Amino acid sequence: MSTQTRSPFLDLRALAALAHMRFTTRRRIEGAYSGRHQSRQQGGAGEFVDFREYSGGEDLRRLDWKVFARTGKAFVRLHQDETNLLCTLALDASGSMSFSGSRGESSSKLHYVQYLATALTHIITQAQDQVGVAVLDDGVREFLPPGGTLTHVALLQELIEHLSTRPTTTMAGSLRSLFERSSRRGVLMLMSDFLMDDLEDVFGVLRLFRHRGWEVVVLHTVHPDEERLPDGAAYRFDGMENDGHLSCSPSDIRVAYESRFKSHLAMVRQFALAGGCDYRLVSTAVSYLQTLQGFLVERTG
Amino acid sequence: MFLHPWAVMLGLAAVGLPFAVHWLTKPRPVRMPLSTLRFVLEAVRQHRARHRLRDFIVLALRAAAVLLVALAIARPKLGDEPLVSDSQSGSAIRVVVLDVSQSMAALDRGVEAIERARTIAAEHLRYRPGLRVNLILAGASPRTAFEQPSQNFEALRDELSQASVRPERLDINRVIAKAAEMLAADSEDDRRRELVVISDFQRSNWARADFSPLPQQTQIQLEATSNESAPANIALLHCQIQQRTAIGGATQLEIEIGNYSPLPQRITAEVAIGDATFRVEGMCPPNRRTTLAQEIQLQQAGWQVGTARLTGVEDALAADNERALVVEVTAKPTYALLTRQSASQRPSSSYYLERALAPDSQLGERASVEIVRVDPAAIDRERLTAADLLVIDHPGKLAAEDIGLLAGLLRRGRPVLYVAGEAIDATNLRLLVEAAGGGLQMPVDFAPPPQDQQRRDLFLTSVRQDVAPFDVFGESRQAITARLRFGGGLTSSRLENTLDDDLLATYSDGTACLVLTSSDAGALAVLNADLNRSNLPTSEAFVPLLDQLVQRLLQRRAAVTGAMGGEPVVVRLPSGVGSASELQIVGPLASESELISHGELVDEGIGVVWRWPSPDEPGVYRVERGDETVFALPVGLSAEESPLESLSPDVLKNRLAGTLAVHYRAAADPSGQRDVLWTWLLVACVVCIVGEFVTLTAFRS
Repeated sequence: MSTQTRSPFLDLRALAALAHMRFTTRRRIEGAYSGRHQSRQQGGAGEFVDFREYSGGEDLRRLDWKVFARTGKAFVRLHQDETNLLCTLALDASGSMSFSGSRGESSSKLHYVQYLATALTHIITQAQDQVGVAVLDDGVREFLPPGGTLTHVALLQELIEHLSTRPTTTMAGSLRSLFERSSRRGVLMLMSDFLMDDLEDVFGVLRLFRHRGWEVVVLHTVHPDEERLPDGAAYRFDGMENDGHLSCSPSDIRVAYESRFKSHLAMVRQFALAGGCDYRLVSTAVSYLQTLQGFLVERTG
Repeated sequence: MFLHPWAVMLGLAAVGLPFAVHWLTKPRPVRMPLSTLRFVLEAVRQHRARHRLRDFIVLALRAAAVLLVALAIARPKLGDEPLVSDSQSGSAIRVVVLDVSQSMAALDRGVEAIERARTIAAEHLRYRPGLRVNLILAGASPRTAFEQPSQNFEALRDELSQASVRPERLDINRVIAKAAEMLAADSEDDRRRELVVISDFQRSNWARADFSPLPQQTQIQLEATSNESAPANIALLHCQIQQRTAIGGATQLEIEIGNYSPLPQRITAEVAIGDATFRVEGMCPPNRRTTLAQEIQLQQAGWQVGTARLTGVEDALAADNERALVVEVTAKPTYALLTRQSASQRPSSSYYLERALAPDSQLGERASVEIVRVDPAAIDRERLTAADLLVIDHPGKLAAEDIGLLAGLLRRGRPVLYVAGEAIDATNLRLLVEAAGGGLQMPVDFAPPPQDQQRRDLFLTSVRQDVAPFDVFGESRQAITARLRFGGGLTSSRLENTLDDDLLATYSDGTACLVLTSSDAGALAVLNADLNRSNLPTSEAFVPLLDQLVQRLLQRRAAVTGAMGGEPVVVRLPSGVGSASELQIVGPLASESELISHGELVDEGIGVVWRWPSPDEPGVYRVERGDETVFALPVGLSAEESPLESLSPDVLKNRLAGTLAVHYRAAADPSGQRDVLWTWLLVACVVCIVGEFVTLTAFRS
């Protein structure tokens, strides 16, 4: 495979270990071309699956005449079509994603998501599937619909490379906009920290995706410094989404903070699972390769 | 109010220190962007009230701790400001009165009151410019360190360090008079007058204190060394042999016990007299005096010296648990009956007297009393001088020489009982009174009855029933005396400016029946009746009445009441002791007798007189002629020193001090305890600091 991309977030040597792994879906999907994934279409060209009694109005081309001749009963043959995967990576580009704690900018959630998204584009396209990217803030800032060409992938990785954050506190609108712009059913992989004001609306939109037959994968990205406040006598915390600042002693509120953050994690997980989404908590403390490997192993089954 | 008032101001200023420190030491916040600010905000909102409460409590405790430290440094003092203290400035004359009476040796909480007093006195004997001080050691008489207030503080402190408790009572009014003399000054002298009295303020001594002699502007500081609740004390107040004591004869040993404790006590006293030892026991009710008595017999003649001691008593004042005792044990007493009546004349007045004075005369040598008849016409001077009692009955006209002899014996202590039954007795009595001089002041003047007046069937109308001899009849006195009828005797008229108490009984006609008058060392009793014409000799009252009268007369001669420490002693020695030059005084510490003055013996007209301005050591002091003891005097403590109860401060301040400015500092809050508040303030400060840590820990958890 030639390396036509110059994205710094793509480490092909590291991804070589994951080359044999494929991203699979758990549901039937609707693709553009034939591929390895079960299609929602049950056409006649695919693998035979079963017989079903004929009911009036059905396409007579699927009727199994031989069976009809032997038994006098009308049965239709059921075949499972296989198609390719259309995966849209929805990346949260709100201000909170640039949080890097006290470990430097390179450990920010956004940075982590850039590595992860770049690797996914590589892996998905290597499996002859199509992948697209949507950058979300208070609107759909960038959207590249799924594609499978090398040029498309290069564009995607370039888009991911130059990803930046904007202070915003809502994402439901951008998701809805993405929903409206997506014509085919596929897989929506949302990478976000879910630190937003309209959390319920966001999951409301995700339910729309699910309702339309999308498979929605929620990758909840957290930073370890978000899970536990830093040690020290006093901090002035500056909000990253134009939400002001606050001075306090972390030791005074550590327990209450951790309790609230855990509640937030639990709530996001609850919303995701209740909406039929696949939920996965992704900590930036864990290497993105390790996270990706675990994700793919689970998906490969 | 405060020893260091500046510290209070400093403390008030320092109260803001915790707030300033809190603000200044507030950690500078580290800036950090945070994506989860909303959770921080919610957590802060949730804990805001809690943290504000914590900060308020912590800051309040810190401020309180600082304030408490400042107050502790300021050393607050409870109660009123003393009128006399080192904090005052300016010229002043100060007199420090230190009570050194015996009660100051009382132990209270293991420390003698005198030691507490010494500490307090030292505070008032510190140098200060313009201050002149004098120290008065107060006992029965005041003893001053200097004639006038001085600035020689070193000498005063030396005097104070050498001061010790004296076996004396406190005569506070003499002390106040002495202090007033020192404090009194010219009207132009505007120096402040200060009187500091350091005492236990015993009720028995201080109840009669009078501060009025002090100058009006005197500031009086009363420093108590003991609490109002006095420590328990049991004292041997008196110990004496009540009656004249003869060898082998029964006599009454009386011990008076003072139980100044809240509980009844069973007291045992050991009395050692000569070689004999007696134990007297009895129950003594609380806060009362109890007299324990026991009949004893002494087998050795002469002056017997002894000691009475309480056994098994542990009380506050040990010095009053022992007392010296002296008794003169005589051989069989001899009564000289001076009468011209014959012994064989019966019945006769002298016969009745002889039988009544010696009821057991038929026992011969074993009789308790020997009666010697003396014919007035041929008086045997030696026999009269050797007799213990002179009884005169129907003597007829006595010669002037004999009158002089009788008067001399009377003045030197020989008791005389004169039974005046004849008219001539009036002359004898008048001459006897004249011969005795001014020492004999009879309450009545006897005169022969008028010729036309028959003195008979006289009965008693007025009797001193509370004293001897009539007290012997007790409640039956009325019934007994109502049956008595008297005849003969002399008429009498009351003399002005004489003692009513000397007239013991009066007849129905207003004349005297029985008179008992002191005459220098002796006593003269006059029974104004002819016994032969009265029914008294045949009544049951005669023997006891005469016995009691004789005992009273002899008691005056025999009783050695003793002297009190610190009190002046003037004792007339018994007749027959010789001249003063032949005598010497030996104290209880015989080896030191030559070094210590025990007063002086002086020959006077009536005999030898022992004058001693101030006895020191309790014990028995003997007057010896050669190796023979001719007189002994017990010196003991005053009974006033034994009740240790203090006078109420209110009484001292309001009633006794009058208009003078007085400050009373109780023993409960002397310098040690009164100034103890600062330690409690420090404790409170530590509590505040601990409370701060507890608060922080509690809020953190």
